[in-house]
Amino acid sequence: MIKRFLGPASAVLFVAAFFAPVAAAADDVKLPDYERVELDNGTILLLNEKHDVPLIGLRAVLRGGAVADERGKSGLASTLAALLEKGAGNRDAAAFAEAIDSVGGHLSAGAGLEAINLSGNFMSRDADLMVELLADMLRRPALDADEMKKLRDRTINFIRAAKDSNLNALLPIYGSAFLFGDHPYGSPVMGSETTLAKITHSDLLRYYADHVGGDRLIIAVSGDFDAGYMLKKLTRAFGGWRKAKSPLSVVTAAEPQTGRRVLLIDKPGATQTYFWIANVGVAADYANRAALDLANTVFGGRFTSMLNTELRIKSGLTYGARSSLSRPLQPGSVAVTSFTRTEATVEAIDMALGVLSQLRDNGISEDMISSAQNYILGQFPTRLETSSQLAAQLAVLEAYGLGASYIDDYGVAILETDSAAIAAVIDDVYPSSQNLVFVLLGDASLIRESISKYGPVTEMKITEPHFRPAAPD
Amino acid sequence: MEKLVESCVKKSCLILFALLVNAAMFGASLAAAVPDEIESRTLDNGLKIIVWPDHDIPNVVMYNFVRAGGRNEYPGITGLSHFFEHMMFNGTSRHAPGEFDRIMEAAGGSNNAYTSSDVTVYQDWFPRAALDVVFGLEADRLQNLAIDPDVVESERGVVYSERRTSVDNNNMRKLLEQVQATAFVAHPYQFPVIGWPSDIEAWTQDDLATYFRTYYAPNNCTMVFTGDITPDEVFALADEYFAPIPAQEPPGRVRTVEPEQAGERRILIETNAQTPLLHLAFHAGSANDPETLPMSLLLNILVGGDSSRLHRLLVEEEQLAISVGGYQDEGFDPGLAYFYLALPPGGNPAVVERRVLDELQRIADDGVTEAELDKARNIILAGFWRGLATINGKASALGNFEVFNGGYEKLFRLPDDIENVTADEMQEVAAKIFRPGNMTVGVLRSPAVGARENSDD
Repeated sequence: MIKRFLGPASAVLFVAAFFAPVAAAADDVKLPDYERVELDNGTILLLNEKHDVPLIGLRAVLRGGAVADERGKSGLASTLAALLEKGAGNRDAAAFAEAIDSVGGHLSAGAGLEAINLSGNFMSRDADLMVELLADMLRRPALDADEMKKLRDRTINFIRAAKDSNLNALLPIYGSAFLFGDHPYGSPVMGSETTLAKITHSDLLRYYADHVGGDRLIIAVSGDFDAGYMLKKLTRAFGGWRKAKSPLSVVTAAEPQTGRRVLLIDKPGATQTYFWIANVGVAADYANRAALDLANTVFGGRFTSMLNTELRIKSGLTYGARSSLSRPLQPGSVAVTSFTRTEATVEAIDMALGVLSQLRDNGISEDMISSAQNYILGQFPTRLETSSQLAAQLAVLEAYGLGASYIDDYGVAILETDSAAIAAVIDDVYPSSQNLVFVLLGDASLIRESISKYGPVTEMKITEPHFRPAAPD
Repeated sequence: MEKLVESCVKKSCLILFALLVNAAMFGASLAAAVPDEIESRTLDNGLKIIVWPDHDIPNVVMYNFVRAGGRNEYPGITGLSHFFEHMMFNGTSRHAPGEFDRIMEAAGGSNNAYTSSDVTVYQDWFPRAALDVVFGLEADRLQNLAIDPDVVESERGVVYSERRTSVDNNNMRKLLEQVQATAFVAHPYQFPVIGWPSDIEAWTQDDLATYFRTYYAPNNCTMVFTGDITPDEVFALADEYFAPIPAQEPPGRVRTVEPEQAGERRILIETNAQTPLLHLAFHAGSANDPETLPMSLLLNILVGGDSSRLHRLLVEEEQLAISVGGYQDEGFDPGLAYFYLALPPGGNPAVVERRVLDELQRIADDGVTEAELDKARNIILAGFWRGLATINGKASALGNFEVFNGGYEKLFRLPDDIENVTADEMQEVAAKIFRPGNMTVGVLRSPAVGARENSDD
C-alpha cells in the first residue's frame, strides 16, 4: 500500500509511453563521455565506461516496431520480440533462459510503437556471455513455431487476466484505439485477443526478414568494462549482419479530434469507473519541450499537480489523477486519466474538465513555474544514475536523432522558460474541453445515462476480444 | 503483461527481495566488510540515524522506518497504519494540509511512503540544496501533526479509492487478501494492510490520536540518509531538528503467536474471472529466522526467472498456468512462503495444485542440485549490486537490515551467508515447510467455470 499512484519520478511526466526520451538535465547534469561508432552495415554502437559497481547495462534498439505490423495483425512485432528470448544460437528456449538466470543476468526484449527494445544487465564478469546472447537473439533466433504458438496463446491469456486484475493498464490501450482509429498509433502494440490469434509463423518470419537487420540497430552499453574490448566484441558480433529487407515504415501525423465522442467499456460489477480523456498531442521532436515539461508537471505530472490537487487532495474522489503525454515520432496522445467510485463518475469527470479549462483559461502562476523548475531540475539527476539508465538514454537519443544537447542544455532551457512560453505551449498542446475523446471503463448499467452528456456514446463489453468497438484492431 | 499479473502487495516478492538484499557485496570476493564511510548515531530520545555518503549525483535519499504496521492493529482499526501513512502528509499545527508536498516539491524534492504488516516507511528524494527544508518538514510532522477531522473524511475517500483499485477490482489481490486472512487465525498478519472496508469507514478521531501518540515517537523510528551528504552535517541537523522531540513510552509488544497449523485450509472466491487464480501459502519464518535465507534460495529455484522449476514445468512445458510467482514475508514475526499462479481460461486449479505440490515434494525428497544452488546465489548476488547502484537502493537495504535483521552491518555479511547455505539445509527447510498440513490454498474463479470444472473431475 503506497501513498500515491504517481511514482516518485513519474515516467509519464516526461514523455512517451513506449520509447521515451527522458527529459533531461539540471544545469550541472551532462551526458557522460561516450564513444559512438557506426559499422559498415549501419549498426550504431554507443559505449560508456562507468565503474562504480561491477555491472553492465545494455540497451539495444531495433527501429521499426509495432507500426510495421501488418493490418489486422497487431501484436506481430511484440510477439517477435518475445520470441527472440525463446531460443537462439545453439540454445533452445530452456537453455537460453538458463544461461541468463544462472549468472544472475537480465536480458529481455519487448516491442514499442516504433522500435523493438532489448534490455540487459549483467555482472561485469559475464560481459562475453552478454554479447554472445545478444548476438544470438538478434542474428540467430530459433523463431520456433511451437514456441511462437505458446507465446501467442499466453499473451492472449495475459490480456484476459489483465481484464480481471489490471484495468489501469488496459485503459490507455482502449484509449489509443479509440482516439487514433485506423491510424497505426491506434493499434495495440501487444495485439488484441483477435489479432494475436491471426498471427502465423510465416507472418513472423516475414517481419523478421523485412524489419530486423543491422541497419536498424543501435546498441548502447554502459558500465564496468573496457571500451576498446567491448567495441571489438560488438564489431565482430554485428559487423557482418545483413540489412533489413524493407524500408522503415513511414507514419504520417494523425488528425486531431474535433468535437466529442465517448467510448464506454462495460465491466459489470466494477465498483469504480476508470476514465481517459484525450486528444492528439505532440511528437518527440516538439520544439518547446522545456515549456511543455513545465506545463505538464504543474497540470498533472506530480503529486501536487492541479489535477491531483482537485480530484484527490481536496475532494478525496480518487487515489490519483494525472496527465500524460505520449510523444512518439509523430504526435501521440495528450491525456487526463483517473478513476473514482461509480456514483462519483460524473462529478470527477466534470472536475477534471474544469481543471483542463482552468489551465487553458488562466495558465500557470509564476510561483508554480518556479516550483516546477526546481522540481524537474531536482529530480533529474536520479534519472541518469545507473549504467542501465545511461545505456537507455544514449540509445533513445540516437534513435530520435536528438543529440547530447537534449540532455546537456535542458537544465538551462528549463531555467530560461518564461510564462509567455508556457502559455503558448498550453494553447498549442492541451485541447479545448470541446474537442475530446472520452474513454470510460466501468459498470455501464449504472453510468450509461449520466455520461451521455459528454457526447455520442459507443458501447462495448470488456469481454470482447479486441480493444475497439465493432471493428477488429 | 506478466508484471500486471504478478504484482506484489505488501511484502517483498522475490525480485524485491533480491534488490533489497542487494546492497552488500564489496568486491567479487566474499570478504565483505562494512564500508568505513557509513556512520550511525542514536540520539538521546532513541532515534537512530544511519548515514551512507555517496557523492555520485548531487542528490540525497531519506528513509524513515516507523515500527508500526498491520501487526499493531486489531478488529475495528484494521488499515489504520496505512491510513496514518496518508495522514502524515495532511497538515500540522504549522503547515496547512497539502503544504508538506507543496514545500518539498517547490524545493525540488519528491516523496512517497509505504505501509506493510510490520512497518510504515517514509521516503524523500531531493537535491542536496533541500536538506534543511526536508529536515524541517520531517521534524514538524513528527512533532506537530494535526489530525483535522475534515481532512480525515476526505482522506477516507482517497484510501477507499485505493482499496477499490488495488483490491476490489483486482482479482489477484482480492484472493491474496482472503488467503492471508485464512492462513492466520490468531496473529494480526491476518489483517489486510489497506484495512477491511467497514474499518476504513469507521475509525475515529480518538483511534488516530492514540495511534500517533503510541507509535510516532523518535524511539520507535530509524532514519537512513544516503547520497551527497556527510555524516557530520546530518548529525548536526538531527541535533537541531530531531533531538528536541521527546521519547515516548515504547509501544507494547505484539503478544499473539500464531498457533501451529494442523491440517490444510482452503478458501474459494467466486467472482467474474476469465482467468482462474490459484494461491498456495505455507507458514514459514520471520526475517531473522535461520530458515529464511535457505527459503529465499529455494524460491529462486522454484519461481525465479524463466528457467525456474515451476515456470518451466507449468508455463512452458505443460502450459497449465500463464504465470507463476512467489515470495516470502520477511517481517518481525513468522510469515508465509507464498506461491501465486494465474491459469488459462478454463484451467483446472485442482490439477495445477497437484502439480505444484508434486514439485514441492520432489524438492523435499531429492533436494536441489549444486548448479541450481549456484544459480540462486548468483541471482541474489547480482540483485545486490543492482541495489547498490543507486542511493535509493542503498537507503532501502540499510534500513531494512537495521530494522528487520538486527543491524545494518549484517547486510554486509549476506554474501558469506548466501555462500554458506547448503543444499542439505535447503532440502530440510523444504521438507519442513512445504507440507499440506501447513498449507492454505486459495482459488478464485467464475461460478460458471467452477461448475463445469467440478463435473469434469
